[in-house]
Amino acid sequence: MSEFDRALAEITAIRGQMARAVEFRGYGPATFAATGVLAGAAAVAQTMLLPAPAANTTAWLGIWVAVAAASAATIGFEMVGRSKRLHSNLAGPMLRAAVEQFMPSAVAGGAITAVLALAAPQALWMMPGLWQIVFALGVFSSCRFLPKAMALVGFWYLGSGLACLAFAGGAAAFAPWAMGVPFGVGQLLVALVLRFGLEGGDERP
Amino acid sequence: MNAPDTGRYAYDGLDRVIHERARLGVLTSLVGHPQGLAFGDLRRLCELTDGNLNRHIATLQEAGLVEVTKQFERNRPLTVCKITDQGRERFQDYLAVLEQVVRDAAEAAKAGAGPLPGLAPA
Repeated sequence: MSEFDRALAEITAIRGQMARAVEFRGYGPATFAATGVLAGAAAVAQTMLLPAPAANTTAWLGIWVAVAAASAATIGFEMVGRSKRLHSNLAGPMLRAAVEQFMPSAVAGGAITAVLALAAPQALWMMPGLWQIVFALGVFSSCRFLPKAMALVGFWYLGSGLACLAFAGGAAAFAPWAMGVPFGVGQLLVALVLRFGLEGGDERP
Repeated sequence: MNAPDTGRYAYDGLDRVIHERARLGVLTSLVGHPQGLAFGDLRRLCELTDGNLNRHIATLQEAGLVEVTKQFERNRPLTVCKITDQGRERFQDYLAVLEQVVRDAAEAAKAGAGPLPGLAPA
């Protein structure tokens, strides 16, 4: 490695150090609120379009995977724009850090879904609870760069996930509320924490 | 008419207040500690004497890059230095220019102009 490369690596390291010390403002409260509303709307849609979800778990899975994908895409798209606008030179390292923190949970959630759907469909009823627990872990790992109150959201998802595993089986399996209520309320909580918890307001660079 | 490369290596963004070894060290220490650092910790991290650190902190404070607060910890006075929002922003801009300097130097060396003094390839 040349002296130039070493110098550039040191500058990158300083940027990384700065990024780790700054509150991440890439997540937009309005978008999170919208994903909460989307989760609620999907639960209503499931009630109307899929009155017997246990008889058609593929359609049930399709609804919720589509909701998750749309939410992730919207949040990701906005995150890039906001970070560039609010973090300027630090946008790159901050985005990387944010993705690194949440990605393990997202990948685990995706892998669990694939395994349950393909190899253990009889256990698919656990998916709402598992998704919420995995999401809670993602929230906890992202907490360090977000307002402190975000930990409450992690506890919400952890509690709701455990409750779903305990109560959303048997006759209640695939009930729309098992996804709609936890994610609807949880995402609205995220929006509230972002709106009121970020130092100086959510739009301050 | 100006040649196309006029000002190519002017590096106006290399802020003179920041571009000094001790102050660069102080700011680099502070950017990683948003809650601030105690005067004693800063002195140890930057290997500066009390007098030197005081002088550099005063310069940075005057430029609005850091703020100094006096607190009490276990009934003992504690001086805490913290980087300001303006300081963080200017430090980021400074890093961007510094990065450009290194990239230009690397490019010049690769193009056969020879490495800059003190930056010879390993």
